[in-house]
This record gives sequence, C-alpha cells and structure tokens, in this order.
Amino acid sequence: MYLRILKKDLKRKKTMNVILLLFVILATMFAASSVNNIITVLNGLDYYFEKADMSDHFVLTLNHNGDEIEEFLNNQPNVKDYRREDQLFFNYSALTQNGKKIVDLGNSVLLLPIDNGKLNYFDKDNNVLKEVPEGYAYFTGSLISKAALDFGDEFQTKLGDTELTFKYAGIAKDAFFGSEMFNNPRLIVNNSDYEKFMADEKVRENNSGIVFYINGYDKNTLESDLSDIPTVNFNKGISVVKTSYIMNIIVAGMLLIVSVCLIIVSFVVLRFTISFTINEEFREIGVMKALGLRNSSVRGLYLVKYLGIAVIGAFTGLLLSIPFGNALMKSVSDNMVLGNDNALLINIVCSIAVVLIILLFCWRCTRKIKKLSPIDAVRSGQTGERFSKRGLLHLGKSKLGATKFLAVNDVFSSPKQFGVMTVIFTVCLLLIMGLANTANTLSSGKLLPLFGAQESDAYITSTDMIAKVMTGEVTYREMCNEIEKKLADNGMPCKVTSEALLFPTLEANGKKASPAFMYNRNTNSSDYMYSEGYAPKYANEIALTTPVAEKLGIGLGDKVKLTLNGKTDDYIVSALSQSLIQFGESGKFNENADIPEESIKQVLGFQIDFDDSPDKAKTKKRIEKMKDIFSTKYVDDTDDFVMHCIGTDIKDTINGVKLMVILITAVIVIMISVLMERSFISKEKPEIALMKAMGFKTRSVIGQHILRFAIVAAVASVISIALCLPVTKLCINPIFSIMGAINGVEYNIKPVEVYIIYPIIVVAATLTGAFFTAIYMKTINASDTSDIE
Amino acid sequence: MTTAVLEVKDLCKTYIINKRQNNVLRNVSFRIDKGEMVAVMGPSGSGKSTLLYTVSGMDKMTAGSVSFCGRDLADMSENDLAEMRLDDMGFIFQQMYMMKNLSIIDNIILPAVKSKKNKDSRRDIVKHGRELMHKLGISEISENDINEVSGGQLQRACICRSMINDPDMIFADEPTGALNRTASDEVMEELTKLNENGTTLMLVTHDAKVAAKCSRILFIVDGNIKGEYNVNRKLSLHERERGLNNWLLEMGW
Repeated sequence: MYLRILKKDLKRKKTMNVILLLFVILATMFAASSVNNIITVLNGLDYYFEKADMSDHFVLTLNHNGDEIEEFLNNQPNVKDYRREDQLFFNYSALTQNGKKIVDLGNSVLLLPIDNGKLNYFDKDNNVLKEVPEGYAYFTGSLISKAALDFGDEFQTKLGDTELTFKYAGIAKDAFFGSEMFNNPRLIVNNSDYEKFMADEKVRENNSGIVFYINGYDKNTLESDLSDIPTVNFNKGISVVKTSYIMNIIVAGMLLIVSVCLIIVSFVVLRFTISFTINEEFREIGVMKALGLRNSSVRGLYLVKYLGIAVIGAFTGLLLSIPFGNALMKSVSDNMVLGNDNALLINIVCSIAVVLIILLFCWRCTRKIKKLSPIDAVRSGQTGERFSKRGLLHLGKSKLGATKFLAVNDVFSSPKQFGVMTVIFTVCLLLIMGLANTANTLSSGKLLPLFGAQESDAYITSTDMIAKVMTGEVTYREMCNEIEKKLADNGMPCKVTSEALLFPTLEANGKKASPAFMYNRNTNSSDYMYSEGYAPKYANEIALTTPVAEKLGIGLGDKVKLTLNGKTDDYIVSALSQSLIQFGESGKFNENADIPEESIKQVLGFQIDFDDSPDKAKTKKRIEKMKDIFSTKYVDDTDDFVMHCIGTDIKDTINGVKLMVILITAVIVIMISVLMERSFISKEKPEIALMKAMGFKTRSVIGQHILRFAIVAAVASVISIALCLPVTKLCINPIFSIMGAINGVEYNIKPVEVYIIYPIIVVAATLTGAFFTAIYMKTINASDTSDIE
Repeated sequence: MTTAVLEVKDLCKTYIINKRQNNVLRNVSFRIDKGEMVAVMGPSGSGKSTLLYTVSGMDKMTAGSVSFCGRDLADMSENDLAEMRLDDMGFIFQQMYMMKNLSIIDNIILPAVKSKKNKDSRRDIVKHGRELMHKLGISEISENDINEVSGGQLQRACICRSMINDPDMIFADEPTGALNRTASDEVMEELTKLNENGTTLMLVTHDAKVAAKCSRILFIVDGNIKGEYNVNRKLSLHERERGLNNWLLEMGW
C-alpha cells in the first residue's frame, strides 16, 4: 500500500515534486561546487606552488655569472638545496612582428629554455610542460593577453646581433614570475634556440640572467645575509611571491563569497520548500490518520518520498556541480593551476550531506504530523482554533485597488514565506553590490594612498623617461623641470613632482631588511595616510609598513639603523603605515630628510598638477595632448595610474568576475522566482479559480502575483542599499587587509551602478521569472472552482 | 411581457478525455426570465454543474448560443466575460470558497472594490457590505477570519458577496450541499427572500426540499433537459415538495 500511496502522490503532485527536485538539484550543485571552490581557493596558492615545485626563497641576478651567489649558498650549512635556472632577460621591445613591437609592457621579459627550467611550468590544460618544439615559444604572464597572438603566429626576437623567428605555441603558467604584479613574463623555448642566442657574445654579456630557487634557509636571515652581495637583483622569500598573486587571491576571495552566498541561498530555499510542501499535505495527512495510520507510518511515508527525491536530485546536482564549479573558477585559473586532488570526493560528500540535511529538514518538518488530527482533513489543514488575524490590512480602510491590495495583503499575511524570498534576494543583491564595490574600488584611484602617492591631475609612467633617471642620464629633478617646461610651452603650466624610490638597508635587533622607501621633497609627510603613530615630523623620523617593522622586531618609537649610499644614521619609527609598494615592504622619509638628489635612481612616475586646476574633461583632453608631446601612451589619470601600478589585466579579470557574478545572480533570482511562483500557483489554485469566477481578469490575477514579487524585490533592494556599505566593509575589508590595507580602504561606490542599476537588474530578473511563470495561470479557469478539492 | 435574463439555445458542451469525446451537454435549450428562481436537478454526472458554468460564461460552450441580458456569450472575449461576471452576475459555490488572507467583510466587498461599474466610495462599499451582512444576520462575524465561522455563516457571507454588485442574476452550485439541515434552511430562506425582492436565481441542487422553494425546475439527464416543472408557490412548502417528488418519480429520479 505504501508504494501505491507514494506512486499516486508522485503522480498527483507532479508539479510540487518536480519543483522540490529542482531545488534539491540546485542546492547540491551550489553546495558541492562551492565547498570545492572554497577548499580550492583556500589552498589555491599552496596547491599551485606545490605542483610547480616552488622553493622557500628566490634570488635573481642579471648580467652576472652567479658564481658569487652560488659560492655563498654552497658555504651555508643550513641551505638544504638550491636550483640554478639559467635564462636570458631583455627589453620587451626586442619582441617584434614584421618590424613592429608586439607588446608594450614596461618591464623586462625572460627567455627560458625548457630543459633549464627548474620549476614545473604548465600548459593551458595544467599539464606539466616537458618539451617545446624547436622554433616555437610559449608565453607566460601578461605577455599572453598583451601580445594577443594565435597559435602558430610568427614573431621575431632580436637579442644582440641574433634575430630568431618563433611561432607562438600557446600559454604557459609560471608560478614564480607569472603574477600580475611581477609582470615579468617569460618565453619558454627549445634549448637549441636558446643556444643560438648564447652563441652571440653580446647576448652572453648583456642578457644573461639566473634565478636561484633555494630551500631550507630561514627566509629573513637569508634575505639579510644576501643583501650584502651586490650582484643580487632580487632576493625575496616565498611570502613575497605569494603576495604578488594578491589580485588573483582577491578574485578568488570574491568567488569564495559567491560560493558562501550560494550555499546560504540553496539551503534557505530548500528548507522553505520542504516546509512548504509538507504544509500543503495537511489534508492527506489528516485523511491517513482518520483511516487509522499511525504517526510513524505517515511520517515514514513522507521520509521515503523525500529520500527518493533527495537521492535523485543530489545525484543530478553532483553531475552538474563539476562543470558549474569549473565555470566559477575559470576566471582565476587562467594564470594559475588551481584545484584540489579530492574534488570528486568532496562533491560526493557534499551531495550525501545535502541528502542528509534534506532528511533532517523533513524529520523536523514532519514533527507536525503528530499534532495533526483527522479534523485537518475536513478543514483543509486549518484546525479552526487559530484566532490570530491572518491578514493585517483591511480592504475597507485601504485606498489601494483590489489587485494591489490583495498583493500587499498576501505579503503581510505570509511574512515567513515572503520573508524567505526577501532574504534570498537581499543576499543576492548584496553579493553583486559588494563585488561591484570591490571591483570599482580596485579599478579606481581610491587605492592611490596604498601606493604612497598623493593625488594629482595626471601621471607620466613612461618607462623611457623613468629609465633616463635610472641610468643617471638626468636627475629626477631635472626630468621634472623638463616636463614642467615642455608643458608650459604647450600652454599647460603645472607643477611636476615625483615619488622617489630608494632602497636603504635597515638594521635593528640584529636583523636586516631592504624595503623600498618613498621620498618626496615637495609634499608634506602629514598628507599621507598612516595606520598608527604620527607622520614623520623631523628629518630623522621615518614611517614603516607593519611587515617591515615585524621583520625587524621593532615598533613605534624604536630606533633603527638606516644605511643609504654607504652612510648609516639612526632613525626613529614615528608611524606604521600600509602600502602595496614592494609587496607591502616599504617606508617613508620625511620631506626634510637628507637625501642627495643624485642618489635617487628610481621614481614611481611623474605627477602633474596643473596650475589652473582644470575640470575632469579638460584634464582628459590634456592627458591626450601630453601623450603626443611625450610620445608615450603612459600618461594616466588617477584611476589608470592605480591600474597601471596594480596591473592592467586584473581590471579585465575583475570586471569578468563581476559580470559572471551578475549573470549567476540573475539566473538564480530568475530560477527562484520561477520555482516560487510555480509553488504559489499550485498552492493557490482554488483562490485563482475563485478570483476568475468572481470576475477578475487573468491579467489582474497575474498582476497580483507579480506585484507580490515586485514588493519582495523592492524591499530586498531597500534593505540591500541600506546594508551595502557595512556588508561590503565586513566582507571585503579582510581581503584588502591581505593587500596591506589593514584598516580597510575608502570604497569607490558608484551610486548609479550600485544603488540603481543592480536593484533594477534584480527586480527585472525577479519580475521576468515571475511573469513567465504566472502566465501559466491562464490555464486555470473560473470553472475549475468545481474541481477543487 | 417578461424579459429573458438568460436564453440558451441548442447548447452543447463536449470534453475530450483520453482522446474520447464526452458529450456532457446535448442541445440544451431553455430561458430564465427576470425574477425567476430556477433549480436544475438531475442525477450525478448528468451535466448540471457544467450547464451552470457554461451558461454563466465560466466555461466555454462547444456549440449553441447563450444570451445573457441580450448579450451573446459566444461573441464575448475572456475579458468581457470576466467583466460581466464581476458586474452582472453573482456566484455561490457549494464549497464556500473565499480568499484565505481576507476577513469576511473584505471577502464580501472584494468584487465591489474590483468593479469599475461601482463608483461608490470605499466607505460606501463597506457600508453596503455591512448592510447585506445585517440582512442575512451575520453582522457579528464581519471582522472574523474565514476559518473562525460556521459553514452556514460562511455560505451566507458568500451570498452577501454574490449580491454586493447588485447582479442581474445569481448562479448557485449546490449552495446547501455542504450544510446541515438547519443551516441549509437558513441559506435557502435568504435566497428565497432575494428572489422575492426581484433577483433572478439559477441553482443546481440534489435536494427536492431546496428545489421546492424555486419557481421552476429543469430536470436534466445525460446532458438533455428531460422535463420542466413549474412550482405553484401559492401552495405550502410541504405540498410543493410532495408535488415535486411525485414529478421526479415520474421522471425516473
């Protein structure tokens, strides 16, 4: 009999059972893929670095044979092992196609013969790259998107007097240099091609570079000890390399938030649907009890039914979770190898968990069965003992029309039902808003303080102009004067300043550090942001970022020995700050510090402040004009300058993630609206038929249903707008703190986009889903009142 | 000369169930004049309710014509039919359907609020609703929830709702079917009063006692009107019921 009742139930309540099945599929798909993604993201870099066989420490030397470093490493007893990777480095302009540069990077490019590779490099399918055909070259990092070559496209590489033509072989993933922030892409080539370059004496002299991958040495000590070797160009531990992936981590963190939201949404919906469907079955439960079935038998019947639906749904969801999860991770896995070795197992465990959770929900919901009596069968689930008012509003007192009143009254009469929907839509909307705020902040000038610069009208970051300062051809002041003069001659009088970058050695408590120091004689230290302490007031005061202070074991008010150009002085740490310069390891001098102009070899860029303080449109025009004057495309406004510092590709990645999240959210909102509305129609069929019998037109009934969704979506929008900033801060500040912004950042909130467009998208998605489902009500006729049970 | 409120000619209604044609109504013709109270009787499955739903425009006819207050239902769109049901017809169902989230008074006034024809203010509509409730003796339950009242009270509330827009005709599908004898008598008393005040009524019933209160009975078998019985309302109810029972026996009831 059990089976017959079940069979009948599945057939008769096909719609509700299918809806429940769909929600189970959704929940399993979201839960399995999201848990997998969370684990993947949290272990992301460790997994990638482990697969790539990364070391604890990295040392780079350019134009030297590396003997000095190798000798040092060989004499260190606590160096467990080290690997030497010989390659070539060169300016990006050496890469051409029919005489034209194929990229404009602003950074050096490396050429690595595959057999010299001491890390595992991966192809686009995450297989370890073991060989490269002769005449072919794989690209890593930003070269992939910026060169935009297709497989087999030819290009030329000229080093010294040797020019070779390569064919583009595809993308490769490089764990060490592949991040957006490092922006030092590599060409991975065949060894015979490399040997052709090495046969050129000029190349051997000017382009050789060596990377040492070192294991088993305390990173701080090694960095400190190696700082005395002049041929070392780069000397950092794995934590710095990890930090260089900060943007990928941020994108992954955004996906993590998406995943958590999806899990919340799926279980809220599931809980609601189960409770909803069981409530709909009061009548049957009452009848069964009237026939003499025991509570346990009735409860068992429903548990068996839901177990069946849960198992089928969970299995389908499990199958769908794999492509869905991959689609979610795609945006961050372009230049990383992400994944976990237990992905399928996690998916299966999650699916089983969903089945168990469904049974738990059912167990809790079916507890009500005990309370139901046969009278419920007669009263369609209403015991008649409830004296609290169902509707809070009174049609007689309302000024609303009948349709509007019914919609509003329904929402107020079923707060739990519509509250759940409001929560879901609010979560979805907050998700989009939070991610949009993050994306907009990352691609705006709001992060400028984290780069230790003051806001200006325009910024010149031309590598050619910066190189003139680096090579000593001109001093940075002379370059500033030259820019000022040229602009004045072109009718744009201005003041040009520059944040100078210096690399002193700091020593305290027997520990050494080489952070990048910012210095600008033309600005006041007090105009910059600090997280603790006060701005350096005197020439012998400095500000340090927290990671540097921690490395040296010092705090506010402590003294530190600072060696610059062979001269050592004592400085007092007056402030702690946050910065993205040198992966968070930087400091700031007071403007009156004794820094000889000729010692300044690196600048962040040249900042231009026009005398007449032009508006945005005028500034934009001037920026375009300046590009012509200085023959460079690297003249930016504040937003572009920050993007230039962070890495321009990341803007596309973030926008891609933003778009993906908007799409996912819209799809979820539509699906939930469709399924909810279908449930409502199924539940309210008698009322729909009655309304039609009374003379309500179909469009009025559809209007009533859509209006309920509109109210819910509007309320969710209002709540989301109110909670937007606090929730963004709560969820996103921890991500920014990884970047060094411990105290958070000032978010760039675009009111039209965040407060108007996104709510409109969610409201539109809700109404679209509800409308197309509500059309089904056309099939319910006034005469159906005679068929209603 | 009496005016026809409802005029039905050669009405056919066919359902296709599992590719099989089921002719529920076959060439049914009759007319109901203004002020009449007509009962439709017949065995289960004879097509009584289908007839009621088809002539009231709730269901579509397969063939024939139905004219309500001079308007041919076949020529009317879904929206026009809905408007007609709202403004010119009233309905009473056996199951006392009401909107769950509304109080009794709100359920009663809902068609009036929805009606475009009704230009009364909301206050006047409520007043009219309360007057109807008072007339039917259910004033005390106006603010109650629909599940806080008895079946008889609820059906009387349904009668109030059917009357709120002063319809030309009220259709009732077994209005006393779900009520006990006392409640049934009360409801029929109200319907009879309505008819005496000029409202035209067409009701479907199994109950000869209920039918005996009507002015005319249509007896339907297998989708055809087999006979028509005019009740002499001057006789006592008992005599009317006996006469009707005799006629029904003749009809093969």
